[in-house]
Amino acid sequence: MLSLREIESDLRVALLGGDDAPARGRVRGDGLEPGARLAIYRHHVVTTLTAALQATFPVVCRLVDERFFAYAADRYMQAEPPSGPCLFEYGAGFPDFLAEFPPCRPLPYLPDVARLEWAMQRALHAPDATPLPMHAIQGAGSELAASLTLRLDPSVSLLRSRYPIDRIWRANRPDVAEPGVVDLAEGPTWLEVRRHEDDAIFRALDPAVFAFRRALAVGARLAVATEEALGTDPAFDLGAALVALFDEGLPIALGGIPPTPGDHPCPSQP
Amino acid sequence: MISGCGVTGAGLVGIGLRAPHVAEIVATRPPLGWLEVHTENYLGGGPALRALDRVRREHPVSLHGVGLSLGSAEGLERAYLARVVDLVRRIEPVLVSEHLSWSIVGGAYLNHLLPLPYTEESLALIAGHVTEVQDALGRPVLVENPSSYLRFHHSPIPEPEFLAELARRTGCSLLCDVNNVFVSCRNFDQDPAAYLDALPAPAIGEIHLAGHARNEAAGRTILIDDHGSPVSDEVWALYARALERFGPRPTLIEWDTDIPALPVLLDEARRAEAAIAGSVTGEGARALAA
Repeated sequence: MLSLREIESDLRVALLGGDDAPARGRVRGDGLEPGARLAIYRHHVVTTLTAALQATFPVVCRLVDERFFAYAADRYMQAEPPSGPCLFEYGAGFPDFLAEFPPCRPLPYLPDVARLEWAMQRALHAPDATPLPMHAIQGAGSELAASLTLRLDPSVSLLRSRYPIDRIWRANRPDVAEPGVVDLAEGPTWLEVRRHEDDAIFRALDPAVFAFRRALAVGARLAVATEEALGTDPAFDLGAALVALFDEGLPIALGGIPPTPGDHPCPSQP
Repeated sequence: MISGCGVTGAGLVGIGLRAPHVAEIVATRPPLGWLEVHTENYLGGGPALRALDRVRREHPVSLHGVGLSLGSAEGLERAYLARVVDLVRRIEPVLVSEHLSWSIVGGAYLNHLLPLPYTEESLALIAGHVTEVQDALGRPVLVENPSSYLRFHHSPIPEPEFLAELARRTGCSLLCDVNNVFVSCRNFDQDPAAYLDALPAPAIGEIHLAGHARNEAAGRTILIDDHGSPVSDEVWALYARALERFGPRPTLIEWDTDIPALPVLLDEARRAEAAIAGSVTGEGARALAA
């Protein structure tokens, strides 16, 4: 093993809040305790990663307050440090972490609010895509059309929650001076998140339209997506749903590889 | 060297472009030689990348990376390097730079420019990584001296000599962060002027200037490179010395925390331009005319 590798491993443990004794043994004091020198680095790592998570999850932070958020963020970064240098990509696992974090149990809606904020973050940084015109599928016969798959805009996520997370989010946005009161019994909700111009936006969908789009988003054939929607609501209108889908510019290509995940429902089922 | 890096004449001074100033810079096109951005902020799609494309149409852009982790013992992250290569092809930056540091171990990115022990082992490793990056980009890069708050027991090569040897082995240029020289030397009771004297002048391709904070720890003052205040008078004096020794070089004002209104940064840039103008005599003037 390279000695440099050992030094870097020892520093990792110290900087993420573990035992700093091995790292201390490698560092000169130069007039201070070696641990105090390591603490300068640890302080930077913790504060900058906490700030990155706060920027991605501002409403979660407001719901639990900044001190608790910093505590949860510190635990999360020990369990799951960033896997790469783009900090706008850090936090994919934070909603699941909050769901398993015992101090968050009194706030059962918190993980789903975090999922909504993560979907907005993904939407903001997703690549630009050109919508597919509806005539791209209009020439297909009905048998061929039924077996079609559609690739949706990469900024799109579809989230289902048993809680009214859209109302919770709006009532607790950082730019709202006094957070509003939301009745948790106002849930469930079926949300579509995507980028519109330079902003991440979301809106509530009808449950059957949600089922249709979610099936398409995970790569299901049009026939299967239609069955899903009809299973949710026998009055589902495929023609209207397709026109709306293309009007909103969601499909970007026919068939091909299913979009990258992130389009999964919240685990709490209504 | 100056014309070779694409930043010429009166346009030698730039500022670090940060999110709060992007719209204003696109709208007002202030007289700046160039702009530098952090590579990592533009590796996604969407509004950030579109804004960078707009900025690039009006200003030369330098890509300054913090994420390649040139000093990682486990090797470079190839997939990440490929994303940087794609951005460099798209933006066609005038300069591409990184740091003499590491951030990734065991696949975890620690979001800090962490120090290396300056040994033959580290030198061979980082020289290999610089060569790998330069081969992937098809162009030389600049490597920046870090700010330091600790030293390792076993670190026998002085930092400026380590950088000089890295440049000699790989053909990379050096980004001399004058504030980092000042911060590190003060933190270890060393002479910053002697540090500058030990750097190879022809290899210096860019200079950074920024502010630092003073923290008290156990009765000792530790300078922290926080990029959160104006350049200090002592660092301006050291910059004058760097210009005297290296000649005029592309110079950047960096400000990353408590970011002020754009005119404050433009004033700092004017001050750097004045320092360059004041330093241009003899050889410096010929270099600028070239």
